[in-house]
Amino acid sequence: MAPEDTCTAEPYRPYGAEIKETRPYSPCRAACPAHTDVQAYVGLIAQGKYTEAFEVITSVNPIASVCSMICHHPCEQSCRRCGVDEPLAVRHLKRFAIEKSKDYRRAKRKLVQKTKGKSVGIIGSGPSGLTAARDLADLGYSVTLYEKHPVLGGMLAAAIPPYRLPREVLKEDIDDIISKGVEVKTNFEIGKDAKLDDLAKKHDAVLVAIGLSLSRSLNIPGVEGPGVLLAIPYLEDVAFGRKPALGKKVLVIGGGNVAMDVARSARRLGVQNVEMVCLENEQEIPAWKWEVDEAVEEAIKINYRWGPKAVKRENGKVLGLEVTKVLSVFDANKRFAPTFDNNVTTLLEADTIIITIGQMSKNDLFDDSSVKMDKGRVTWNPATQMSSSKNIFVAGEVVTGPGSAIAAVANGRRAALAMHLYIQGETIEGRLPAQEKETIAQMPSEVVEKISKQPRMKIKHLAPEVRVKTMDHFEMGYSEAEALEEAGRCRGCGGGAVVDQKKCMACLTCMRVCPYGAPVVTSVSEIRPEYCQACGLCAPECPAQAISMVSYDVKEIRNSLPTIIGKVDADRQEPVIVALMCTHHAKVIGVPNNVKAIPVHCTSRIDILDMLKAFESGADGVAIIRCGSGTCKYRDIEPRVNARVKRVQDLLGMLKIESNRLEILSAASNNGGNPYSALCADFSERVKKLGLRARK
Amino acid sequence: MVKDFKKVLVFGCNTCVAICHAGGEKEAETIATLIRMRAAQEGKQMTVNHLGVMRHCEPEYFEPVMDEVKKYDLVLSTACGVGVNFLSDRTGTVPVYPGINTSFYGAVEAPGVFKELCAGCGDCIVHMTGGICPVARCAKTLMNGPCGGTNKGKCEISRDVDCAWYLIVERMTKLGTLDKLSAIIPPRNWSTARDGGPRRISMEHIREFEEKEAAKTETAGGKK
Repeated sequence: MAPEDTCTAEPYRPYGAEIKETRPYSPCRAACPAHTDVQAYVGLIAQGKYTEAFEVITSVNPIASVCSMICHHPCEQSCRRCGVDEPLAVRHLKRFAIEKSKDYRRAKRKLVQKTKGKSVGIIGSGPSGLTAARDLADLGYSVTLYEKHPVLGGMLAAAIPPYRLPREVLKEDIDDIISKGVEVKTNFEIGKDAKLDDLAKKHDAVLVAIGLSLSRSLNIPGVEGPGVLLAIPYLEDVAFGRKPALGKKVLVIGGGNVAMDVARSARRLGVQNVEMVCLENEQEIPAWKWEVDEAVEEAIKINYRWGPKAVKRENGKVLGLEVTKVLSVFDANKRFAPTFDNNVTTLLEADTIIITIGQMSKNDLFDDSSVKMDKGRVTWNPATQMSSSKNIFVAGEVVTGPGSAIAAVANGRRAALAMHLYIQGETIEGRLPAQEKETIAQMPSEVVEKISKQPRMKIKHLAPEVRVKTMDHFEMGYSEAEALEEAGRCRGCGGGAVVDQKKCMACLTCMRVCPYGAPVVTSVSEIRPEYCQACGLCAPECPAQAISMVSYDVKEIRNSLPTIIGKVDADRQEPVIVALMCTHHAKVIGVPNNVKAIPVHCTSRIDILDMLKAFESGADGVAIIRCGSGTCKYRDIEPRVNARVKRVQDLLGMLKIESNRLEILSAASNNGGNPYSALCADFSERVKKLGLRARK
Repeated sequence: MVKDFKKVLVFGCNTCVAICHAGGEKEAETIATLIRMRAAQEGKQMTVNHLGVMRHCEPEYFEPVMDEVKKYDLVLSTACGVGVNFLSDRTGTVPVYPGINTSFYGAVEAPGVFKELCAGCGDCIVHMTGGICPVARCAKTLMNGPCGGTNKGKCEISRDVDCAWYLIVERMTKLGTLDKLSAIIPPRNWSTARDGGPRRISMEHIREFEEKEAAKTETAGGKK
């Protein structure tokens, strides 16, 4: 390989990334089609490390800003906290971390060297196209993006209404990608402005990522003519600020998420009377529950279990939609097979009807191309992402069918890797990552019982009557305090304790100290990940130092203390104080200057060796700062930490170091102001009275 | 004990003493830190490191690190006395000092509580005393019933010490074997215990095999 290859920035890998690949994934990560390491980035947010969180997120998902607004967050639906109270607000935390990293990401943008001397063409700049463009540019390929619209983003730019996805958010993601040196050809439609096969000759490989850009219509009487619109052209009008022709009463046919976009944007275009009609009942409706709830809040009426029969017109003008009662939607095999009671019909009045019953791909670029079609669909091999034509690859909804943005991202990543392998002359089959991952089991009920309830931090929305007045985004981001609090709710699934079986001598200590019953000791200890809450209590107790944690380096504190403390000035006026602070109080403002605050995710991880190392490195005093009683997210932590502190005080006594140079500080509550900076200042004063430690 | 040495290795033993939270690698690191801190207090230039292996009482465990160990002026072994001695015989010119004070060989009665239950006397009679050893558990090592110092099940030396013979009688009553105590038992031969001098056991079936193997290797390898 060319030496310049090393210029490509290595993607950021959080601590534990390698070992995580050898263990079952946390359910949140497994559920994410792109396998975003949710546990890692939520943990980083909790420590105030927002740009590191940004790196974890974007390492697998280049349209992270977009997803922070619109993702259907399967991570949350599978969060193991669901069994306790409510899932983590993962998407909203992602939004917080990304917004906090705005300056960082902008400063980071730079051209990537085109070291490969090979070029790829990507048709379509939706989630999968953008993702493949990013990945291939990072690998050193010359990338050209072809987009038929005047702007990049595919459906993100051309169909998703701005109230869900502000365009400046999309722009941040796109700017990250094109700043790598991706060539952009907008207003360029393959099949019209160039032939697919010609493109395949021009580039070493081509990716077709055109999505599903055509709306399906209904074959019912009266559907042709004015007053009946199709979803995609309508949404394009909305997206590009053109006023679609709507009457006073709009009826949306369909119950999916796109139908919600259509109906809710109609409300925002000033239509007071918006109704929807769908085959399904309230349980069966395919749109996400929150979309339905928010639509209802916005005074949209949903008519459940009616099937469209005919558009009724008078003198060509739409009067409404005649509908038939639906008896059932799915057959015994849960396949879509609606049945109707033709005797029960009614007329849903409307002057405008918008059909939103699904989409299909716009396939004309395949006409007179070498790519084989089968019943109107591209033939492809999911194991290689290849079409029937050898250097033409396919990705995203055009082949996977309708899905989420993040699923398209994941498929785009696969396709990029496939194209890279192909161009490098390597085998593709068997080399693309498996989509299904082994997952940590649900929390056993005896563990759930031990977890204190803490409700999810509310996500604030503008009031429905306010938000329907504009096309603007209506969801408020978290404040820093809110984000830290919410991130602290994570149970750290998959980030917990691991036993080094070569060191373990089955002493039973971990089994005795674990508050959650995670370790089982037979010939050696095994810490069961479905039980482990990643508190870290066991590792400092292990007499063989056989326990490490997946999500952090158990030796990091003691290894970094000499650097953190630095050279201690013999003529200092103020004592050197080390404060090991529970991250629930991290980033506390205004700790005095002489206090070196080290955030720890829980004081239970603090080893006696950490405390000793602080004194060895020259600290005059060490404070362990923990949650007030009853607010700790773990249980049975206090007595163990107290015992360790007592032990260190005894050991310090052997060296004639006053025991009250080491204290546990705790405040009753962390609401209202910051009691911890005052606690630190008081402690510092007490240590000062004891005198500054001299070193010979 | 260590202050006159410049380069000290605190050498942990990761089996029995680690289980006892006394001398595993963790404790070795703690002791090393404390020595460094004391050296700093006294303005002494001293290098103090720590290391750990699974056991100090079997050569295979520490041989791989012996080159490293021999770089020090002093090895402070936190193994039990067995390990300290065993290692000391194999470190050439480097002295090995005891890092912990080996007291006895006991059971973990409860987390953090260790209790002496066997003295390794070499002539076990526990099958005749209800599973309770009077050699290790009676303050006087009496062989024929309690002395006058037994007091409501406790020994006269301390209220925290059970009277072993009281326990034996209670236990044998429960087992229905108390009459065994009336049997006449010949006097004990204490030469199997410490009184007979340092002890060594050679397990013939293992030694025989090992020696044969060694002989084979010699023949195959020819003269050295």
